[in-house]
Amino acid sequence: MVMSKRGFIPMFISGIGYVIGETFKGLYRNRWMCITSTGVVVVTLLMLGLFMMFTLNVGHITDTVREQVEIVVFIDEFATSEQQTELGRKIGAHQGVAEVHYVSSEEHMSRLRPQLGGMLEGYDSELDNPLLASYEVKTVVPETVAELAAEFGTYPGVSNVFYGKGYVENLFSVTRVIQLVVLALMAGLAITAVFLISHTIKLTVMMRKKEIAIMKYVGATNWFIRWPFVLEGLFMGFLGAVLPMLALYYIYIHSVEWVTVNNLLFLSLLPVEQVMIELAKYLVPLGTILGILGSAFSMGRFLRV
Amino acid sequence: MVEAKDLSMRYTKNGDNALEDVSFFIDRGEFVFFVGSSGAGKSTLLKLIIRELIPSEGTLKIFGRDVGKLPRHRLPYLRRNIGMVFQDFRLIEDRTAYDNVAFAMMVTGATRREIRKRVPHVLGLVGLQGKGDARICDLSGGEQQRVGLARAIANRPAMIIADEPTGNLDPGTTLDIMNLLRSINLRGTTVLVATHNRDIVDKFKKRVLYLDGGRLVGDEQKGFYSHVH
Repeated sequence: MVMSKRGFIPMFISGIGYVIGETFKGLYRNRWMCITSTGVVVVTLLMLGLFMMFTLNVGHITDTVREQVEIVVFIDEFATSEQQTELGRKIGAHQGVAEVHYVSSEEHMSRLRPQLGGMLEGYDSELDNPLLASYEVKTVVPETVAELAAEFGTYPGVSNVFYGKGYVENLFSVTRVIQLVVLALMAGLAITAVFLISHTIKLTVMMRKKEIAIMKYVGATNWFIRWPFVLEGLFMGFLGAVLPMLALYYIYIHSVEWVTVNNLLFLSLLPVEQVMIELAKYLVPLGTILGILGSAFSMGRFLRV
Repeated sequence: MVEAKDLSMRYTKNGDNALEDVSFFIDRGEFVFFVGSSGAGKSTLLKLIIRELIPSEGTLKIFGRDVGKLPRHRLPYLRRNIGMVFQDFRLIEDRTAYDNVAFAMMVTGATRREIRKRVPHVLGLVGLQGKGDARICDLSGGEQQRVGLARAIANRPAMIIADEPTGNLDPGTTLDIMNLLRSINLRGTTVLVATHNRDIVDKFKKRVLYLDGGRLVGDEQKGFYSHVH
């Protein structure tokens, strides 16, 4: 039998050098096409990264606001101290409650003083204080405030209950809509990225179809042909993810600076490191996998020679 | 070495036969011309031999193995024993002559040392001493075909298949290339050449297989192109 086959190990070892050499030669020879492909990955992942940054921060701001949502249960001015204690115990024992904090009428007054200043003159003595003592309640699930507020309103010794009715419901529904819209946009963008990248890599492979056909004629195995392309795809995908990460880093640093300079502290943005780690977790593997799959699948048709 | 038995090939299910009931046997070390007009089936036959196509009917044995039943993953190992020479050379144009030949050895897993030793040797055999560093696009047609020949013999194949190897060359260069093929054959390599070149077939007086409309219409030792035409 003339059809000889060299040992796998020596071929594998001599093949590694070949594959790595061919990868970099291929990148250099087809540099313009590679720059185009990488550019497509950079632009799509940059867009995706911007959306991710936005979603992460919308989520963070929502969480911050959610944490601040609380129920204020005002205690009836005629409630006895036993009734007050019993009310505090009952609220605290409720399974939907995370934290209960008693605020005396004096504390309410001292909180108001810096805001209202001179308007509170004449209310200095304890007997003149018109404010009611209250329990400030944080719930386990912020979305349950309305339900719990209604329940606490029925407890004995309660004057009234406040939880920012209307505002809280709106906040939850608006942030939910924003998150859904951004998620849909991100999914759309990711799908577009897959098409764009695989199409661009297909063009790169098509330009080299003659080379691939020659490889087949001289007896190259499919994987021998495929590896340099796959590594090129990996390299382009990785670079296509790292470059937008650098751009996103500068965009984010400037956004945080802008928020600080303009004193928009209610927009509590996530720290730079945390955002970059989150982005790297998704963008780098996504870019690399897109590059590899784009190359590997684009070749199929040209390998059938 | 090459044994065809009732070989037929159709490109489409209900189309005409590109080859019909072709049977022949080619022994090791032979030099054979396939002649016939365009569409006679010469290129189809060569494509079947390198398993670029799979026969519709009949069997084709290469090195004793039925190529129609050869699993796809074994195909590269068949092709490493067949050197291919094409009318349009099919070289990688932005690389050097050396790279094109080295590349064919690289895919078989040859070591760098083997390649460094063998490539200048085969370039010398085809008359391209000192031209290893020349880029393909800077070489003449004849020189490019010599690189094609060097690439075909680099892995010491048992058989060379040349499809119109001189179709794009002037008469002087044509003769040089055919003489090279003859010298390769004299070293024991089987050589199959599909050609339209009447002068060459008549001059070489080798075995000729005549194809017409997909049928084998003649098989002559020391034949002439004009014999049946």
